[in-house]
Amino acid sequence: MIETLKQTAKKVLDALQNEGAEQSETTVTYTVTHEFNVDGGAFSLFRTLFDKKLTMSGITAGKRGTVSQNRWDDATVAESAKACMDAANASMPDDAWQIAPLTKNEDFTLGEVRPDLDRLFMRCRELMDTIRDRFPKIIMEQMIVSHRERFEVKANSNGVLFSTHGGSYEAMLMYSAHEGEKASSFFGGGVITDNLDKPFIACGSIETDLENVEKQIETESVEGKFEGTMVLMPGCAGELIGGMLMNFAGEQGLLSGTSPWKEKLGEPVADERLTVSIAPLDERIVCGERYTDEGFPAKNYDIIRNGRLEAFALGLYASNKLGLARAENDSYNMIVAPGDKPLSEIIASIDRGILVGRFSGGQPASNGDFSGVAKNSFLIENGRIGSALAETMISGNLAEMLRRVRAISKETVAEGMTVLPYLAFDGITVSGK
Amino acid sequence: MIPDLLTDKKYLFAAGANTELRAQRNLNRRVVLLNGNLVNNVQTDQFGVSARVYENGVYGFSSTGEYSEETVKDVLKAASENAAFLAGHAGRGKGPHKPMPAARRFTAYDLANVEQKTYIAFAQALDAYIAEKYPDLLSRTIVATADSMEKLLCVSNGADGHSVLPRSYVYIIMTAATPDGKPVELYKVLGGYGTFDRNFRDPKDCYAAIDALYDRVRQKAEGVYPEAGNKTVILGGILSGMLAHEAVGHTVEADLVIGGSVAGPNLGKRVGSDLVNLVDFAHTAFGKPTPLPIHVDDEGTEATDAVLIRDGILTGYMNSRETAERFGMVPTGNARAFLFSDEPLIRMRNTAVLPGTSKLEDMIASIDDGYYLTDTNNGQADTTGEFMFGVTFGYEIKNGKLARPLLDTTISGVAFEMLKTVDMISDEMIWASSGMCGKKQPMPVGMGGPAIKCRVTIGGR
Repeated sequence: MIETLKQTAKKVLDALQNEGAEQSETTVTYTVTHEFNVDGGAFSLFRTLFDKKLTMSGITAGKRGTVSQNRWDDATVAESAKACMDAANASMPDDAWQIAPLTKNEDFTLGEVRPDLDRLFMRCRELMDTIRDRFPKIIMEQMIVSHRERFEVKANSNGVLFSTHGGSYEAMLMYSAHEGEKASSFFGGGVITDNLDKPFIACGSIETDLENVEKQIETESVEGKFEGTMVLMPGCAGELIGGMLMNFAGEQGLLSGTSPWKEKLGEPVADERLTVSIAPLDERIVCGERYTDEGFPAKNYDIIRNGRLEAFALGLYASNKLGLARAENDSYNMIVAPGDKPLSEIIASIDRGILVGRFSGGQPASNGDFSGVAKNSFLIENGRIGSALAETMISGNLAEMLRRVRAISKETVAEGMTVLPYLAFDGITVSGK
Repeated sequence: MIPDLLTDKKYLFAAGANTELRAQRNLNRRVVLLNGNLVNNVQTDQFGVSARVYENGVYGFSSTGEYSEETVKDVLKAASENAAFLAGHAGRGKGPHKPMPAARRFTAYDLANVEQKTYIAFAQALDAYIAEKYPDLLSRTIVATADSMEKLLCVSNGADGHSVLPRSYVYIIMTAATPDGKPVELYKVLGGYGTFDRNFRDPKDCYAAIDALYDRVRQKAEGVYPEAGNKTVILGGILSGMLAHEAVGHTVEADLVIGGSVAGPNLGKRVGSDLVNLVDFAHTAFGKPTPLPIHVDDEGTEATDAVLIRDGILTGYMNSRETAERFGMVPTGNARAFLFSDEPLIRMRNTAVLPGTSKLEDMIASIDDGYYLTDTNNGQADTTGEFMFGVTFGYEIKNGKLARPLLDTTISGVAFEMLKTVDMISDEMIWASSGMCGKKQPMPVGMGGPAIKCRVTIGGR
């Protein structure tokens, strides 16, 4: 299959050149997905998908167009190449549009490429049985367990030619806990793995999450308003910090000039204990990218090291446009370095605060202000985890928050995409009804 | 139009099973100008065929991106095998769905694919207007976009159909600086159902909306944070539409009811004041086409309106054929799939709070201390009905009059408690249709509502 994809990629680059492209690039993928669905606690659907995808970009006189579609027969390739260059010709020139130079081409094989469907079904049923026996209050709204086999070729007119044949398993769960008419908030989580050696319940934070949600049926609201410590559970920390990095260190904020970090490269932006890496090559990341979407070999990099801003998450266009270094990869595989204290010790040190499992918030403003509802969360009082919370809002400023790290836990959760500890921040406003 | 390679394959449908064959094409266009730089110039085209087979209480599904006589047979065979695999391992001992009358609902509309240069030229014209007239803005973004889906459906029982759902929009996003130099952002969406060339004939038609947006983002730059707490507010139509969709609509999707949503124990009970009525419209509302009309869903159910709340009482759910049988309800055509490779899920169509009889100015005049909230950039809700909306613009109300404009904030509440506090509803409503609802798959949806007066928790800073 990889050979077929390489021939298709060559055909695409030739077609773009025939249409006048001076520089061109393409990605050709073929995926086969097998997926079991559980709805309302019972098996409901078994899907098999055969998907092609072909993306091509052409640049002429600094003008760029992109077409993406799911067929690669000769007629469609020729038609798409023409549409791509028509779009390029209709745009305006910008020298920042370039393609990756040839460095070193490579073929990669990652993960478990072929599914063991009987074993996957067994692991799925085992998880359902475990949840029914050990967490009887849980209603599984939806569980999706799948394997995806992926063939991909990336090529450009500078001679870049990468390929990947990869395969991984994924389990995604969405559930809530119930007792009579009382219910917890829903919670979603999951794992990606390249083997089925362990039961799903032992992967990532699935077991801890189920335990927590079962404790969230009875809730209280915070009385009034206080300023305290917010401890983010690992999954929630990933979403909040990932969103913040997109806002502050991503292309949109920098190209528009609204990022508060635009002049901060090399300067301290966070507590010195905080190190955040984007690391698809880390061994705990499953089938992480080996080359970027633009055709550069992928390398791990630190975006924040010991509190200092080390890099921006920029692709080649934004890098050229802004005169700043390109990011070493374009994945979302975030790894936050662990601290030296166990979570129990961190909690024991907090007089009043909140342990947050999920943040349901408005998109943070470009200046970093955020506010939203703390879901799947618990009150922390006098060093102990107290009652589960409902209708409780948290607010603060993301940039200020990073400077007010109270502690980072020793424990981390690796769910295949990220590796994250518990993170505690001071100075967060918590308000009830 | 997608050629019909499906109808003559009905002879392959297994007796005693429900079978759907669907060929589908999704087209997208997207042009983004950020401060005059064309940072996105992309078109996508996804086309293929899928089959779904229901047997012994479970479904098998298969799809491929190739559409030919052979691949139609291939996906049908693979879907049947998948259904048999799952039925063998986890069958539920159920027979096929209740039969529905055969019908054929074909639209004549062919999918026009407007050239990329049209989008680029239109975006450039708007960008040039803003750059020249409003040079003090910190940044400006123009997004010209369109998406459309064409579906050809063939089912073992129910309605066969052909449908086309095109929509196109221009997003105008402006960032201005506060007096202390912090950025504040506001956006406006123009457009709706229809192809780009029909919705956007002349850039000049957008200038008034641009001027109004600039005026509002300047006001916002001088704005204040609201005082946090439980307050009396008026939610403008965009927010009440989001309330209808996020906070109520999702909880009354029957798959979420089975998953334990708050609507389960509340069917037939009071969930709002007498003034509250909420409907998921199919193709016609108030004598006009809905923003995103649906005539047949992807299970072959002819689409009708789903009345969800009548005079404050929760009256129904949105269903697939399977869940309708489980709840003893009539399916109203809510099972929709996003791509050819997606199976139908229970989705909303055009969900709205119905208008009342009050005048907006009287509603404002009735509040001594509260807020009028007009714009939002996102919303989320829980299966418990607890919701959170980001609010990007609004005004204080002091002594019955609009006062200072607001900076970004958040509101939250619990839908079935908050709806009981509704004591005035305006007589005019507005629709929005640019949204993409996220469930397992994305889906274009319409939502709408009048201004409603109620109590919610508003976040301060």
